[in-house]
Amino acid sequence: MYVRQLTILVICFQEGACNIVMGKDKTKQDNQDQTNPSALVQKIQQLGQSTVPQAPDSNIHVLPIIGQVEGHVQLPPQNKTTKYEHLIPQIVAIEQNPKIEGLIVLLNTVGGDVEAGLALSEMIASLSKPTVSIVLGGGHSIGVPIAVSTDYSYIVPTATMTIHPIRLTGLVIGVPQTFEYLDKMQDRVINFVMSHSKIDEETFKDLMFAKGNLTRDIGTNVVGADAVEHGLIDGIGGVNEAMSKLNELIEQKKQAGDMLQ
Amino acid sequence: MILYTPLSEVDIFGTDPEAFNNRQFMNVHGRLVHAERTAEGTYRILQLMSTDPQDYLDASFTPGSVISN
Repeated sequence: MYVRQLTILVICFQEGACNIVMGKDKTKQDNQDQTNPSALVQKIQQLGQSTVPQAPDSNIHVLPIIGQVEGHVQLPPQNKTTKYEHLIPQIVAIEQNPKIEGLIVLLNTVGGDVEAGLALSEMIASLSKPTVSIVLGGGHSIGVPIAVSTDYSYIVPTATMTIHPIRLTGLVIGVPQTFEYLDKMQDRVINFVMSHSKIDEETFKDLMFAKGNLTRDIGTNVVGADAVEHGLIDGIGGVNEAMSKLNELIEQKKQAGDMLQ
Repeated sequence: MILYTPLSEVDIFGTDPEAFNNRQFMNVHGRLVHAERTAEGTYRILQLMSTDPQDYLDASFTPGSVISN
């Protein structure tokens, strides 16, 4: 008997508390609506909205790499940046999600942090799922290794890729070691591009150190068809070509998996 | 930090960053967005950070739309 009374008491108490909290919240919300007319207008606008029908899950995901590739140092906010702390976990999530069968990498970048760019390139190259890249507009400097890191790469005919030596910005210590450090950094980029594309080292270095192509710099601005001719990019094409290639690679992977089983 | 880009240093480290203080990354309905705080105190979407192409078809995530709770 004693126990039963106690339980009823507790329930009553909880209900009472609930009502009090709810009542408080309601009056608080009403006050907010009255003091902030724009919030009220937004709520009225939202009343007319219907729910968007849920599209089926896409088996192909897309990774846009736009603006500057941002790495160890945060760039001033007027730069449009792609941050590695956003992209690297996304790549891991893509690898882990069994519903995702392929990845398209969209590139329109002016380059950026060497180590962030190389990190992204290595992450994309080591994905077990088929990957295809499209270079749109520009895939300059560190955009080059990212573009070639996928299983198959496309460039649209109007896109360009600037290949030039790595330079130092900021503090320069005038010792031969500084040059060696830069040279090693450059070798990392060159080696990655060599091992993930059909271009040979001599051609790539020729493009990198060419004179007279860029107005105030050493290097070459490689346009669409030229990039394919040099063996840097696999083919010319846009969305249609990239999607059919990716679907083809996904089919191949499925068939290979079936044969193993 | 070594930047490998054809842009000049002035292009990257140019203007006053104070004008961009009202921008921040936030999580909206499980998706990461870059949003801007408006004068009314609400947030307007600038960019959606998602790899799922279907997310970009959702009208509530289009750049310019106001985030509703």
